[in-house]
Amino acid sequence: MRLLLVEDDSMIGAAAQEGLRREGHVVDWVRDGREAALAIANGVYDLVLLDLGLPRRDGLSLLRELRAKGNEVPVLVITARDAVADRIAGLDAGADDYLVKPFDLDELSARVRAVLRRRSGRGKSVIRVGELEIDTAARHVKWKRREVALSAREYALLEALADRPGAFHTRAQLEERLYGWDEEIASNAVEVHIHALRRKLDAGLIRNVRGMGYTLAGES
Amino acid sequence: MSMRRRLLFWLLSSVLAGGLAAAAVVFFQARYAANEIFDYQLRQLALTLRDRTYSPRELAEVLQGEDALEFVIQVWGPDGKRVYASHPKLDVPGAVQLGFSDLTTRDGRFRVFAIQQRGLTIQVAQPVAARDQLALAAAGRTLLPFVVALPLLGWLIWRLVGREVRFLESTAKVVASRSPESLEAIETTRVPEEIQPLIGALNGLLARLGTALAQQRQFIADAAHELRTPLTALMLQLQLAERARDEAERQKAHAMLREGIARAAHVVEQLLTLAREDPDARKAAQEKVDLAELARAVAQAHESSAAAKGVALRTVLDGPVVVEGDRAALRTLMDNLVDNAIRYTPAGDVTIKAQGRDGEAFFEVDDSGPGIPVAERARVFDRFYRGETAAEGGTGLGLAIVRRIADRHRGAVELADAPGGRGLAAVVKLPLAS
Repeated sequence: MRLLLVEDDSMIGAAAQEGLRREGHVVDWVRDGREAALAIANGVYDLVLLDLGLPRRDGLSLLRELRAKGNEVPVLVITARDAVADRIAGLDAGADDYLVKPFDLDELSARVRAVLRRRSGRGKSVIRVGELEIDTAARHVKWKRREVALSAREYALLEALADRPGAFHTRAQLEERLYGWDEEIASNAVEVHIHALRRKLDAGLIRNVRGMGYTLAGES
Repeated sequence: MSMRRRLLFWLLSSVLAGGLAAAAVVFFQARYAANEIFDYQLRQLALTLRDRTYSPRELAEVLQGEDALEFVIQVWGPDGKRVYASHPKLDVPGAVQLGFSDLTTRDGRFRVFAIQQRGLTIQVAQPVAARDQLALAAAGRTLLPFVVALPLLGWLIWRLVGREVRFLESTAKVVASRSPESLEAIETTRVPEEIQPLIGALNGLLARLGTALAQQRQFIADAAHELRTPLTALMLQLQLAERARDEAERQKAHAMLREGIARAAHVVEQLLTLAREDPDARKAAQEKVDLAELARAVAQAHESSAAAKGVALRTVLDGPVVVEGDRAALRTLMDNLVDNAIRYTPAGDVTIKAQGRDGEAFFEVDDSGPGIPVAERARVFDRFYRGETAAEGGTGLGLAIVRRIADRHRGAVELADAPGGRGLAAVVKLPLAS
C-alpha cells in the first residue's frame, strides 16, 4: 500500500516512515499542510496519516477541505490532542480513525490495516482469492494451504492485486503503489516481481492482458 | 480566649462597677442627708433641754420615752459634777468644746452637741454607727437591682453575642469545608459590616490563589502535551531498534534513539529551567556579572555547533559591561538566544554583542536567518508557542525562559530586524550596575 505521512516532527516522521516501510508499505513523508494538500491531489495514496498540529496549514482544516471537495482518501489522524472534544472534531471532519500520541508501531500498523480493510469493504484481515490466502495482519501468504515466503515487494504487489480481484492494474499504477518518491525504480521492476510471484505460487495466478494490465485470476 | 467569654466578662464587670459606683454615691449622699437631719435633731433636743430648767428628776421624766440608746444625755453641775446621765453605764466623756464635736470612746464613735445654761452643761450624744447604717441601707437598696439583674443580663449577653458569633462560625465552616479546588469567592451579602473586610481580604486571596493554580495547571497540561512529541519519537525509535533485521539497521536505529533521548532530555531541562525561573520562586542571587565576559564564554561554548551548521559566530564586546544579577540565569538567557540564532540560520552569520550605554547594558544576538514576522513577534514569548516558521527540535520554551530571566532582572527583551534588514535581532536590556 502507498501511504502519505504528514508529520512535522522530524524524529517521529523518520521513525514512523521507517517502521511502516518495514511493514511493506510505501511511505511518502511531507512536513506541512500545504505540501500535504499538493501530494494528496495526486490521488495515488491508499491512506493518509495526518498529524493535526502542522505548520503552514492546520491538519483539521485540510481534512475538512478534502472531504468538502469529495476526496474520499482514507485518513488516519495522528495528534497529541487527546481531549474527547478534539477526537470528536477530528472524526467529524472526516477522519477514518484517530491515534493519540504517544503510540507504538504495532498500534499504528494495526490501525492502518483496519482502516484499509474497512475501506475495501472487508471485515476480516484475511483475503481469500481461490486457493490463495493472504493474512494482511501477519503478512503471511498461503497457496493451497501451504505457507509461501515472499519478499516485502512481492508481498506488497500481491496485496495490491488481491485488493480488487479481477480488476486490472497498469504497470504504472503498480509502480506507484510499490515505490515512494525517493526510490529508484528499475524499468522492469514490476515484471521481475510478477515473475517471482508466478514462480513461487502458480504460473497462471497472475494474468497479463495486453493494453489492460495485470489481474489476479485466483484459479490456475 | 473566647470572644464571647471576654465580652461577657467585661460587660458584666462594667454593669457591676456601675452599680457599685451608684451605690457609693447614694451612700455618701444618704449619709450627708442623715448627718444634717440628725445634727438638727441633736441640737433641737439640747435646746429644748436648755429652755426648761429641769431638775434631774424632771429630766428623767421628760426623757422617758425617748429611745433608749439613740441619745445619750448627760448634765453636769457648775462644779463639774455630773448631775444626770441617761445611760450611766455608757462612758461618754464630757466634750471639750461647746457646739458640735466628734468623740471616740470605748463604746464607739459619737456625735456630740454641748450647751451651757446657768452653770449647767448639757451634752447630747448619738452613736455615729446609726447614721452609717442608715446610709448603708440606702446604698444597699440602690445596689440590689443591679445584683438581681446581673445573672439575667449575663444570660442575655451570652445569647446575643452567641447569635452574632454564630455567623463567624458558619463562615468558618464554609471556609473549612472548602476543597483546594473550590476557590470561588465567599458570599458577602449576609455578612455583618465588621466582618466584611476580613471576608473581602479572604476572597482576594482566594482569587489570587485561583489564578496561580489555573496557571500552574495550564503549565502542567502544556508541559505534558509538549512531552508527548519526544516520547512518541522515543517509542517509535525504540521499536525500530528492537526490530532491526541486521547490524546496519540496528546502528541506524540506535543513532536515532540517542538523538531522541537527547531531545527529550533537552525538553525536560528547559521545563525545569522555566520552573526555576518562576517569578515568585525566589529572589535572584545578586552578584556583579560582566556581560561581555559571559558572552565570550557563551560564544566559545557554541563555536562547534555553529561551525557544524556552517554559521560564522562573531562577537562585538565592549569592555566590562557589569550588571547585578544571577550569573547562572544570565548564562541560560544567553545560551537560549545564541542557540536559537544558530538553529534558525541555515548558513550565515550570528553576531553576539554586549555593550553598555546610557546607564543600560545591552546584550544582543543578530542572525541572518529568516527572521520572525512582526505580527508573530509578541507571541513567540508565550511558552510552548511554536511559530509558523518554527525550526526543528525546538521546545517552544526558549524565549519564554529568556523573558522570565530578563523580567526577574528588571530588564526587557525585544525582537527586531537585524541590522542590514535580513534576519532577527534579539535585544536584552538590563540596568547597569551602579
